[in-house]
Amino acid sequence: MDFAFVGGAGVFGKRGARLDVRQRGGSRRAVQRVVLFAAADGFDYDVAVIGAGVGGHGAALHAVSKGLKTCIFSADDVGGTCVNRGCVPSKALLAAAGRVREMKDAHHLKALGITVDSVEYDREGVSEHANGLASRVRGNMSNSLKALGVEVIPAKASLLGAQSIKGSDGKTYSAKDVILAPGSVPFVPPGITIDGKTVFTSDEALKLEAVPDWVAIIGSGYIGLEFSDVYTALGSNVTFVEAMPNIMPGFDPEIQRLATRLLVNPRPIDYVTNVFAAKVTPGELGKRPVVIELIDAATKEPVDTLEVDAAMVATGRAPNTKELNLEAVNVEAQRGFVPVDERMRVLDKDGAVIDHLYCIGDANGKMMLAHAASTQGVSAVENITGNPHVVNHDAVPAACFTHPEIAMVGPTEPQAKELAEKEGFEIGKSLGHFRANSKALAENEGDGICKVLYRKDNGKIIAVHIIGLHAADLIQECATAVAAGLTVNDLAFITHTHPTLSEVVDEAMKAAVGMAAH
Amino acid sequence: MDVKFADEETKLEVKTRDVFMPALSSTMTEGRIVQWLKQPGDFVDVGEIIMVVESDKADMDVESFEKGYLAQILTAEGESAGVGATVALLAETEEDIQKVIDCGTECIVPGSNHRHDGTTVVDLDHQESASAEPAAPAAPAAPAAEKPKNVKEVFMPALSSTMTEGKVVQWLKKEGEKIAVGESVMVVESDKADMDVESFEEGIVAHIMVDEGDSTNVGEVVAYLAPSEAEASAVKSWASSLGSGPTSAPASAPAVSAEAAAAKPAAPAAAPASSASVVNEGRVVASPYARKLAAENGIDLKFVQGTGPGRRIIAEDVEAAKSSGAAAAPAEAPAYKSSKVYATPDAKKVAKAEKINLDNVTGTGNFGRITAVDVLKAAGKAPVQKEARAEEKAPAAKKKGKSDGPAEVLDGAVPMTAMQKGIAKNMMATLGVPVYSVSYEINTTAFDELYAKVKAKGVTTSSLLAKAVGHVLKDHQILNARYEEGDTHIYKKAADIGVAVATKGGLVTPVLRNCAETDIYSLSRSWKELVRKAVEKKLTGADMSNAHFYISNLGMFGVEHFNAILPKNAGTILAVSASKPKVVLQKNGLIGVEKFMNVNATCDHRVIQGADLAGFLRDLADFIENSIDEVMY
Repeated sequence: MDFAFVGGAGVFGKRGARLDVRQRGGSRRAVQRVVLFAAADGFDYDVAVIGAGVGGHGAALHAVSKGLKTCIFSADDVGGTCVNRGCVPSKALLAAAGRVREMKDAHHLKALGITVDSVEYDREGVSEHANGLASRVRGNMSNSLKALGVEVIPAKASLLGAQSIKGSDGKTYSAKDVILAPGSVPFVPPGITIDGKTVFTSDEALKLEAVPDWVAIIGSGYIGLEFSDVYTALGSNVTFVEAMPNIMPGFDPEIQRLATRLLVNPRPIDYVTNVFAAKVTPGELGKRPVVIELIDAATKEPVDTLEVDAAMVATGRAPNTKELNLEAVNVEAQRGFVPVDERMRVLDKDGAVIDHLYCIGDANGKMMLAHAASTQGVSAVENITGNPHVVNHDAVPAACFTHPEIAMVGPTEPQAKELAEKEGFEIGKSLGHFRANSKALAENEGDGICKVLYRKDNGKIIAVHIIGLHAADLIQECATAVAAGLTVNDLAFITHTHPTLSEVVDEAMKAAVGMAAH
Repeated sequence: MDVKFADEETKLEVKTRDVFMPALSSTMTEGRIVQWLKQPGDFVDVGEIIMVVESDKADMDVESFEKGYLAQILTAEGESAGVGATVALLAETEEDIQKVIDCGTECIVPGSNHRHDGTTVVDLDHQESASAEPAAPAAPAAPAAEKPKNVKEVFMPALSSTMTEGKVVQWLKKEGEKIAVGESVMVVESDKADMDVESFEEGIVAHIMVDEGDSTNVGEVVAYLAPSEAEASAVKSWASSLGSGPTSAPASAPAVSAEAAAAKPAAPAAAPASSASVVNEGRVVASPYARKLAAENGIDLKFVQGTGPGRRIIAEDVEAAKSSGAAAAPAEAPAYKSSKVYATPDAKKVAKAEKINLDNVTGTGNFGRITAVDVLKAAGKAPVQKEARAEEKAPAAKKKGKSDGPAEVLDGAVPMTAMQKGIAKNMMATLGVPVYSVSYEINTTAFDELYAKVKAKGVTTSSLLAKAVGHVLKDHQILNARYEEGDTHIYKKAADIGVAVATKGGLVTPVLRNCAETDIYSLSRSWKELVRKAVEKKLTGADMSNAHFYISNLGMFGVEHFNAILPKNAGTILAVSASKPKVVLQKNGLIGVEKFMNVNATCDHRVIQGADLAGFLRDLADFIENSIDEVMY
């Protein structure tokens, strides 16, 4: 949709002038907001955002709210990884799979007084739900960009200079400030052949074109773990192939152990650790197995061979920066990542700040999470508009949507201890238990803990790790507390609704200050 | 340590008990004795403070776990000793002191060395001379490989004073992994709770003796640690020669009896099932080309002897096997058949649960792999075919069924949980006590009225009862006393009352402290906290110890009258039944309906005489009927 109202530079004389028709008219009946923008002198736009994922979207929305004339290069992929091939469709799969798991758990249901005869699912129906959700969210994002006055350019973009962009549509664009938000793609280690059917990444897995009997998941991080949840709920067996000594590396060790007891041991899942999948040869469903050759992670000696029906590669994500033409601005990507300073400004080969060029999201590698990208996008716009801003990544929460969920904010316990030693303070630790929570017990989901790490000297909350029912929703209070520098005492004295799961957090905070919650 | 050799007779005669350095914190590896509170010649009772130890965290009083006369102090004041090391010797009688000194650590009675303190690792090289572990592995038939140096044992620790055996719920370290001091090595289910057990030593986990899910006695070896990675394999082969570990294949016949389920690790299990022609147990190392060749020719690599580097199977080996024809897998000729027998993760889990050796299972899944259905068939349990994948649920459902008895229909032998075993053991121990019971009927009208008033304020029946009992105990001290071997009555000023709580797994008796002096609201809060801990299996030994008077309330079930068994080391247990309406002649001369409950007290006659008890019950009834409001002040 083209905007007739979008004027060229200098129409309104004043840079960044913004007129909101609805507000000016004061009419509450107006459905569509029409915004008029004018860019800075000599530029087509005030801000050009490359990439329309969650990060780029967040940056663009914030830019228009600041009165900047903004365009976004979507490469025909509004929503990016998260919406199209990541968080959003995977939540749809997990929601469906979670119901199936729940309804198949006759024992659990019986405890609630429910009997279910047999549970069947329709793979295509589940798949449609996931893809339908993705396109709905994508539509919403597209609409919001357009409605707010962001010009969406469906082309891919590469840099001609810090303020100059070449589109795959053949046109050249200029912008006073450029925000790179190209995102990432699944990382596929060498030796692994992807055929999209028996050997695939999360991109294809989300389409759920088949539910294989036995799936090897290479990599046991967030993505692998979530898919193990989906696959086992739908009836598959899963084998994790992990290069690190433990599965679920990166999680807090205590949470990792409990997760093993809740999410791995009782399910048809096993794992091999300390190994690389050196070679993965695709098979053919029902005819030939996928063959995975395993080598020792340290010695590189062959260890074993696996033959499974399908292999999903979830070995992490690689920045999608190859086509940005970073050479044009004298930037050397590091393992593909664009180096930035804490204010999201891109650094050149010599480590010097490149004026007017920013990079946010997965491409800068600071924290590969959709909401972190969005926060970074807002931060970049703040810096563009002269309000120096730095994102506190320690206060960015993360969640893994298994059943039960895992969520965290701040460092793991070993990391926190290291920090404490370095900075000379003592770490306090306290726990809240789902087993002691009425709401969790009502749901018959009493497994899990909330672990709080705080400074003993001033009570400030450093990190919170939760595994248990709706952990991903529970972490928000903790993230807010970390961001605001609140103490365990502050939270212990805040009223938590009864009976809700939030009382698990309440219990942990109270325990930290020696109060009993029960 | 000065070790003298004593002949067997002296050993039997002189029953030396030892005092050892306890682990006072999870990170403590040695402690310095700040002060000896007992001197040689002094009598030491169980629970008496014998020394003050400076750990890495604090100075702490250490109680004796044994009774006897302090014969000799081995670690003087100001000196340090490693955790678990013997620091003093106790003699049974005063006369034995000299013999104990002469005999030294040689004569320590087996069993006195139990690690009540959570010590999990003992240095074998140092401990060997003194140790007389009752369950030392029997000498293997074949001469065992020589014991490598510096092997350390990880023991099943005693996580509570009543724990005699523990179940390894989870190994947090696998064989070959490094473990640091203070790092958790395993999760153990004791009779009370699941606890992470930390290591006091560092090393490489060389050999695991007790598999996950299996139980062993306190003090038994559950794993061996090697000092370095290089020595790990030597330690492993030495350790495996002592007895079977989990790495050896499970017994070939499916074990059905409950006894077999509670397998003891030290008991030599069946040797790994191996057919004569199988040369590669477990994983097969073969070059990619050899694998390819084997696959093309339908040769099972399990039967092929490798001659390549590191005994890897190379192409030539496959060729040789092919020409000999020995290793050809049965040629059913489906589209594709694996060169190796694979079992799905679920199949492995079901096999473990059912104790089925996968070698004996024929795979019918994709490419000949073994699925959970195949294993269930082998176990003689036809899978439920209602759902295509019903078998996926089998292991999970089975696991849960254990704790939630009523939800499952059970039939046949079921191994007892640690808690059930603990209860059974404690109950048997009460058989030698001369007990009698006296029962009394108490009008609960006033009690019920009071309860109705204070219920909303969080006061519970149990805390009201405990408070009332505590109040009346002040005038009946003998009811709060217990008998102690050695002709002693042990009195107790504080009214600490144990109250039985039924939990899903069994029965626990947390103790409400100082019921007479504590206000009813605090008491009710403590009670709720104890119940919460009981439900979460988090009660500690301290929460359950040292009560002489117990209450067991089955009123909520509408029980008419019952007898309770007097717990170990208790004087009295009061069985409280339901309060029921009766038609009575009231004080005002009218006929009316009032509620009465039966209380039935069981006492140890060695301490409490019938008249004592009857007097107590009379006063308790009087208090509950006429002065119950006093508990509020």
